[in-house]
Amino acid sequence: MEKIRERILPVIQATVTALLTVSASHAHGQTDALSLESAPVEKIQDVEPSTNLKVFVEGSVGNATQRYGLPRIDLQRASLDLAYSGQLAPGIRLVLSNRVDVAHPKVFRSGHVVNSLREAYLSWQPSGSATVLDFGRINLRNGPSYGYNPTDFFRDGSLRIVTSADPFALRQNRIGSVMIRGQQIWDGGSLSLIYSPKLASRPALDGWSLDLGSTNNRDRGLVGLGTRFSQNFNTQVFLYKEEGLSPTVGANFTALLSDAATAHAELTYGREPDLLSQAIAMVPRNEVTRSRFSGGVTYTTLGKTSITAEYQYNGFGLRKAGWDALALVPGGQVQYLQEALRLQELAPRQAILLYITQRDLWLKDLDLTAYVRVNLGDKSKLAWFELRHHWPNFDLSFQLQQNIGRANSEFGVLADRRLIQVLGTYYF
Amino acid sequence: MNWTKFALTAALLLPVVGIAAPNADAILAASDAIRNPGRSFSVTVTLTDFQKGRQVEASTLQSYSRLQAGGQYSSLVRFVLPARDAGKLMLKNGNDMWFYDPTNKASVRLSPQQRLLGQASNGDVATVNLGKDYSPTLAGEEEVQNGERQMRKAYKLAMTAVSPDVTYASIEMWVDIENNRPIKARFFAESSRLLKTVYYRKFQPQLGADRPTESVIIDGLDPQSVTLMRFSDYAARNIPETWMQRDYLPRFQPD
Repeated sequence: MEKIRERILPVIQATVTALLTVSASHAHGQTDALSLESAPVEKIQDVEPSTNLKVFVEGSVGNATQRYGLPRIDLQRASLDLAYSGQLAPGIRLVLSNRVDVAHPKVFRSGHVVNSLREAYLSWQPSGSATVLDFGRINLRNGPSYGYNPTDFFRDGSLRIVTSADPFALRQNRIGSVMIRGQQIWDGGSLSLIYSPKLASRPALDGWSLDLGSTNNRDRGLVGLGTRFSQNFNTQVFLYKEEGLSPTVGANFTALLSDAATAHAELTYGREPDLLSQAIAMVPRNEVTRSRFSGGVTYTTLGKTSITAEYQYNGFGLRKAGWDALALVPGGQVQYLQEALRLQELAPRQAILLYITQRDLWLKDLDLTAYVRVNLGDKSKLAWFELRHHWPNFDLSFQLQQNIGRANSEFGVLADRRLIQVLGTYYF
Repeated sequence: MNWTKFALTAALLLPVVGIAAPNADAILAASDAIRNPGRSFSVTVTLTDFQKGRQVEASTLQSYSRLQAGGQYSSLVRFVLPARDAGKLMLKNGNDMWFYDPTNKASVRLSPQQRLLGQASNGDVATVNLGKDYSPTLAGEEEVQNGERQMRKAYKLAMTAVSPDVTYASIEMWVDIENNRPIKARFFAESSRLLKTVYYRKFQPQLGADRPTESVIIDGLDPQSVTLMRFSDYAARNIPETWMQRDYLPRFQPD
């Protein structure tokens, strides 16, 4: 008994000492927190100009490894990005947003320098009024989905240069359409009326062009009604009409499913030429009545990971049999994919997207973003990931894109197999 | 005769009043009234992030809080600094939560857990009427250290959510017995995991009462991660309901 006590007593003493040490260090950690001092308090009016005018410069270097015996390509880019929003007079606001990219190798059809006038419009809202009128080039964007937005009716022709495969970056860099927009906002909803006229016939080749032919090559109109049915459920419904085509109806919704999960979906239904006849000149125009759909769920963990799974459907896109048949047309598949990219369309009939973000991955301010898009027809994949570290005025990021698939698949037919780039972004 | 009855009633009631147990709802309501101005207002929030005692980030937000009909606040937070985030917006109107980025025009619906990833969620521990969403019980009286490192005698309140729509499933809060000032609170997830410990300090006169102008927020998962929130430039203002919805976010312009 005495021996047992002799053996156990030191163990108990050591355990109690360890527990007291842990407890003391935890308490000490909280006491330390109370000795911290806040950063200097900034007066909003002193820093306000920086919110009216946002400027950043970005540089990137990288390379593209290619298939089919093609040599590796070095990639370089420098960009200047400006965005301004300011009040000109009571109730009148000016919005300007522009980006200049200098790229090597040169951008398809445009040259080494590409200017994108994303937005330039005037907004008029009489004091105390819930009605707003806008006129000019407006980057109008609708749709809650991550990778494919059927209800984003003004997306086609909006990309002058592709700087990243990240769908959020693609939306950031696109040019708007010239339009007049009226919007009435009330508690829990809004109604928008939009008219966008034809101003040019075909896309401009000059890198400095306003490129109205890409965004305003036909007359278009849109009516949109947004409604908040409850705190957990929002919808938007649309009626879209463009020159020469019958109207398209669309709807989207977002919902809160639980403390950690949200859902989103978009649907359109209308009659228009299928993607193949839009992409390949020798294919006769084939108007069909079909739907587009995109819907998914986002789940967030307490460990700062967000995962989105999304199903995408384009009734106007090619099924696998049609895609395989297109391989018989020399260059047909690549031409089809280029047109899908220009229209911001889903090239295959069905795809799924898995999109993941992780905040503070190993270090504070080190974020991971990654996604994989799978063509459900030919099972080819696009995988993309980015590691980005934030400093107060500077971001450094590393991006990797891998196109995976057999020779005649969506992601296998492209010459690029792998793209790697390092980007530095400085915010003024 | 009336005077006799009055005196007798008073004599019977006085001891009862004198020894009545403090009411948890009343303590929480009084504490809420100190943290919140009881009207719609705007305030500048300076956040300083520390990791292992070293400052790693500082940001400035402007928060517009609207007192809703039910007594709870909805809030629209505008990011001012750092420059990377300037102009971004975070909306919270009950469970209707959105993040808006003006650069890509994206309005993204957030779940309560997703919102916890961003700095704006720290505003909840400062501007929320806890009495509207939680049922408190008095868990005792304790001597605790306040944010100024003074020992104070406090009521300990144990609160559980009365609605599933709240960010935190339960909260422990210590309220100064002498003046109902909030001293410290611990915020828990549904799994009973500690998410945040918060000290309220630097009480100063703001919008008609002495209110805490700094919160020390210690991450429950990583106690070495600390955020200091400074509140300045309180201003009473009329904030329309139309601001508190997704469709208004692309329209929002600061004064």
